[in-house]
Amino acid sequence: MTEYLLHITIISGLYIILTLSLNLIIGYCGQVSLGHAAFYGLGAYTSALLTIHWQVPFFLALPTAAVIAALFGLGLGIPTLRLKDDYLAIVTLGFGVIVDLILLNLELTGGPDGLARIPPPRLAGIDFRNKVYYLLLVAAVVAFTLGLIYRLVHSCHGRALKAIRDHEITARVMGINASAYKISIFTLAAGLAGLAGSLYAHYITFINPESFGLHTSILVLTMVVLGGMGSILGSVVGAGVLTILPELFRRFADYQDVAYGAMLIALLIWRPQGLLGSGKISQKFSLSKNRAKKER
Amino acid sequence: MGTAMLTLKSVHSYYGSLHVLKGVSLHVRAGEIVALLGANGAGKTTTLKTISGLIKPRKGQVEFQGEDISRLSAEAIVQRGIAHVPEGRRVFSSLSVAANLELGAFARRDQQAVKSDLRELQERFPILRERAKQPAGTLSGGEQQILAMARALMARPKLLLLDEPSMGLAPRLVKQVFAIIRHLQETGTTILLIEQNARAALKVADRGYVMETGRISLDGTAAELMDHNEVKRAYLGKGYQEVWEE
Amino acid sequence: MLLQQILNGLTAGSVYALIALGYTMIYGILGLINFAQGELYMAGAFATVLLLSIYQVNFFVAFLFGMGVAAVLGVILERLAFRPLRGSHPLVPLISAIGASIFLQSLALLLFGPADRSFPIQFEFAALEIAGVSVSALQVAIFGTALFFMALLVAFVKYTKFGKAIMATALDQDTARLMGINVDRMIALTFFIGSALSGAAGIMMAIYYNATYPRMGLLPGLKAFSAAVLGGVGNIPGAIVGGLLLGVAENLGAGYLSSGYKDAVAFAILIIVLLVRPKGLLGGRSH
Repeated sequence: MTEYLLHITIISGLYIILTLSLNLIIGYCGQVSLGHAAFYGLGAYTSALLTIHWQVPFFLALPTAAVIAALFGLGLGIPTLRLKDDYLAIVTLGFGVIVDLILLNLELTGGPDGLARIPPPRLAGIDFRNKVYYLLLVAAVVAFTLGLIYRLVHSCHGRALKAIRDHEITARVMGINASAYKISIFTLAAGLAGLAGSLYAHYITFINPESFGLHTSILVLTMVVLGGMGSILGSVVGAGVLTILPELFRRFADYQDVAYGAMLIALLIWRPQGLLGSGKISQKFSLSKNRAKKER
Repeated sequence: MGTAMLTLKSVHSYYGSLHVLKGVSLHVRAGEIVALLGANGAGKTTTLKTISGLIKPRKGQVEFQGEDISRLSAEAIVQRGIAHVPEGRRVFSSLSVAANLELGAFARRDQQAVKSDLRELQERFPILRERAKQPAGTLSGGEQQILAMARALMARPKLLLLDEPSMGLAPRLVKQVFAIIRHLQETGTTILLIEQNARAALKVADRGYVMETGRISLDGTAAELMDHNEVKRAYLGKGYQEVWEE
Repeated sequence: MLLQQILNGLTAGSVYALIALGYTMIYGILGLINFAQGELYMAGAFATVLLLSIYQVNFFVAFLFGMGVAAVLGVILERLAFRPLRGSHPLVPLISAIGASIFLQSLALLLFGPADRSFPIQFEFAALEIAGVSVSALQVAIFGTALFFMALLVAFVKYTKFGKAIMATALDQDTARLMGINVDRMIALTFFIGSALSGAAGIMMAIYYNATYPRMGLLPGLKAFSAAVLGGVGNIPGAIVGGLLLGVAENLGAGYLSSGYKDAVAFAILIIVLLVRPKGLLGGRSH
């Protein structure tokens, strides 16, 4: 039983990182990325390949995976950030699909079977196959992520980001380089997702492209929306709820996606700010404020 | 003339959270041309939009031919006989001139009459026949204004709302447009007209209202208003002397 | 060989074009990407396949039935997932569409199971020779049918009262209302037509691949979106051109590059178009 609880908590932790990072994009760039799981996958595969083929120690592979994922984020972000909302969303989706395809077809990544026998981390004699230790590891990374985001939000950069989010034109006029900020957020978010990917790979010890596809991207998106777009605590809650709930309702696993789909729609219609969102960004998405602009 | 065809009673309208109309009351009698004057931002366009149903009044009433139309949809109001030529013409630019005209009669059921109306308008305004198949966006400003007005006429409206018909047009075309407006009155159409060109509007109108920041500040016959110092001042500010005396 | 690829491509392309027309019409009138378009494709296929599995009806009746089911489903979709969200930030209906897509896919999975279903009627298609290249009569039939529907749509939009009203609503909603056009109804009609076309595409592909399954709409839907963007979103001829071009490009790519990455061609085109010429080939509407 404890093993099971530890497992759930570890998985929640991973999704918390993913949700927090996607929330950065949604909350501070006001964009929807539908390919977020691709960065998750890139981080996982990078870390796995480094440790399997080149015997790179885990604690070096982990940050490397984050950097690689971040670089991909940068590569995707630079040309696409000037696209309009829905087009950007589709491009990120396309990116996710392309990465998925590449992972499926490349020999290096093992094709549809993926990679197996990924070595667990090793540090000074601690055996990370013990879930307790792994949980501590994940918790540490989650704490790091939270700390990073919290400090970002409350720094002068955070204020600049808020300015960009709420009124981009004014922010630009005031000299804030909105594009640079947006790209940085995108890159950071990708890197964090890569971190989560590496943690995932070395925990489950085998990976294949299925875990990093559109389905996962949408799952993370649902977590963000449920928790509240733009809300940090909301992301944590959303990730937690949607990791734990399916476990509680294991019997209804077949109905899971149907429920998620309906939930997304219902949330947007009746509670676009999600569970905990109440900040400006949710207002940006919510109905009443924009409805008022078009008196019908 | 008769009892009021159109009455606005203390209408309050909002644009988003902006309180634009702050208790507007006016009336238009059948067969009249009434001018609605005022500076930019006074609420003239919002008044027209409230009448035609694009905006719903928050308070107050809009009555047309004895019926309260305040809550009706724009589509239903068109069917009641009100046609609105919006500011900036707003022709459907990638649709042909002919298609634009046909759309004007969308709400009508009498297909035969629609066809004869179309022919009549094309005769009166040959440009509509010449350019029938061209995309409306390729027409000049003046031609588009004629198209927009003809399109509205295709609905055989009882009341015609015109928003700045002379805007952006050369003086020669302005004269032409106002000649059309005068002719429309002769054929029995009632007209409520917004114009920046106060002089031209008052020359053709029977009565007028002046709006200022969401309220009616002045009203009277066209003659009264033309002579009114307030009108000259409220409208044109400093340079009024030169422009008015043209 | 080249000609063969092109002919194959035209078949696939005409199907993409049908779906793309749905996207483009909906984007034109509402400014939103109907992420669930692929599911309407799938619904048409399932409706026809299920009907034919249960009853002995005439094929064409079943075909129309499938289109009808897709059309009605599209209208319901608009009513439930999009209309309540009108007036909000454009990303909101996009996410809602994603939700709808997942919902419909999973619902189909629940109801029908993941297995491929073969088409209840087994057709005998002759192999034809055109310009020295072997083409199956099925391909010709698909291409022809698709062209037929496209022609119908173009005629509808150019010559009928409601077709023009839809175009007007797409161009300028407020002014359309001033013509007495009921915008809600035009939007519903657009969804009806766009979904019917996607449904038709689904049925044809169900025959072509002899496989009907819940996730069948996912990739074609996304690719058709690429096609719409390629031609210019919101532009009806653009959707047709984009679809055909994409089909051909895909097949050429698979033939000369690598078949594993065939699916990537559509996305590569999408990204390139959006970066280089977002308005597409024939110029779409910027909403």
